[in-house]
Amino acid sequence: MISTVESSPESFRPPMDQPTASPFASLMGRRILVVDDDRLNLRILGSILKGEGYTLAEASSGEEAIDTYARFHPDLVLLDVMMPGIDGFETCRRLKKAHAGTCAPVIFITAKNESDDVVEGLGAGGVDYLPKPFNGKEVLARIRSHLQNRILSEELKRLVEQLSNANAAKNRFLGMAAHDLRNPLASIRGLSEFLRDGAVGPLDAAQVDIVNTIRDASQSMLDLVNELLDVATIEAGELKLRLEPHPLADLIAKSVALTNMDAARKKTRVIIDSSGASPTLPIDVAKMRQVIDNLLSNAVKYSPPGATITAVIHLDAARGTCGFSVRDQGPGIPEGERDKLFKDFGRLSARPTAGEESTGLGLAICRKIVEAHNGSISVENLPSGGSEFRVTLPFNA
Amino acid sequence: MNFKGTILLADDEPHIRKFVGLILKGLGAAAILEAGDGEEAVAVFLREKPGLVLLDVNMPVVDGLGALKKIKEIDPDCVVVMLTSLANRETVESALALGASNYIRKDTPKEEIAKALTETIDACFEA
Repeated sequence: MISTVESSPESFRPPMDQPTASPFASLMGRRILVVDDDRLNLRILGSILKGEGYTLAEASSGEEAIDTYARFHPDLVLLDVMMPGIDGFETCRRLKKAHAGTCAPVIFITAKNESDDVVEGLGAGGVDYLPKPFNGKEVLARIRSHLQNRILSEELKRLVEQLSNANAAKNRFLGMAAHDLRNPLASIRGLSEFLRDGAVGPLDAAQVDIVNTIRDASQSMLDLVNELLDVATIEAGELKLRLEPHPLADLIAKSVALTNMDAARKKTRVIIDSSGASPTLPIDVAKMRQVIDNLLSNAVKYSPPGATITAVIHLDAARGTCGFSVRDQGPGIPEGERDKLFKDFGRLSARPTAGEESTGLGLAICRKIVEAHNGSISVENLPSGGSEFRVTLPFNA
Repeated sequence: MNFKGTILLADDEPHIRKFVGLILKGLGAAAILEAGDGEEAVAVFLREKPGLVLLDVNMPVVDGLGALKKIKEIDPDCVVVMLTSLANRETVESALALGASNYIRKDTPKEEIAKALTETIDACFEA
């Protein structure tokens, strides 16, 4: 029974050093730089602040304050406005410039509650002002609230950094995992096709059914892995375009021909309405092809069997745009789900009409590719039913 | 496919060797030798002198580019085709600069691989 003592679930208790309390439970020891050419003011402020346990440094001019700041690294600066040499406003501007992005909040000390001073002080980068003569409670309350803001924003910065590091690590992992899964999946798909096609002898109907299931499952896994890899690549900022002038109509014709082969199984047809427009523009051919393929295969997926999908090429020379649309005969996009549509894993309530798979990544990838081309992608529900996905790209004739 | 001699197929993934091997047989390949890394590929090449080599880019011990360099030193006229999955442009360009005839995506459907292989091989060997 002794062993139960040793194996008590120590690890389930939160570690003692975990900062469970609020991050500013204590502001003790926080560093404040007090700048005033009047020794008496320094003494008064000093006694108010030391009583609260703050750590203080003093300076009696703007120039001295700038030097002291660099050594002392205060969390907050109390800065007199009227001083010989550079005044408080100028001191503040120089501090903000020298410590851009990290500069401690500056509270001005003003002789009178003069609104001109207050306005100029806030313009110079100050966060607040303390009127003389000092009211001890007011001084402490204002300092406390600005220190708390400072601590919160530091905390936030650290969290954002942690999160973006974690996200980058996740993308690297995703990329590696997906990369290593692709080849085996491609082999499973290919080898099952050899079996299906009778390359190693004839199969009976039940065997063909099983082999087809293996083949289709490996195909959808391969699609998923490819899309995950695309997302990882794009999120890692590695989406690099190789732009070359290419006729849009050619790209769409190729994609339509390919889609029609799959669509035939659902008795669905894809037709092109080029209305004579055939813009040639700089695009990354492979990536834009991916966008067209994706929009067309979605249209087939979500339209009922026997539907007609229309791919439209458009050109608006006056506005300097061109692009294409894909019109489907699906259920349309519910108003409330439109925002989700172009986001990662933004699967909607609509389901494919013949048991096809959806990863919820395709449109997010499309949006990223189109945006990398300085274009935009949008969706409208058609009055006649169905929806129209429209890609608009900049076009200089 | 116009090439009727011995083919060396080097890839560290056995399922890829099986898959691409079946494609080559479908194209009428007479004899296929296999290697699981770049060093083995060079050793088999020296011993068997195949007229056509398919080399995976990412292999242990000696990678595809290393093996390509060695093979081209031994026989500058040997036809070498690289196998890649997600093609890294720099790798492909270095392979072509080192004398590879082409590169083929092995993660595409078998019909596409067969077509690319036939085109590449027929461009190198007369009927």
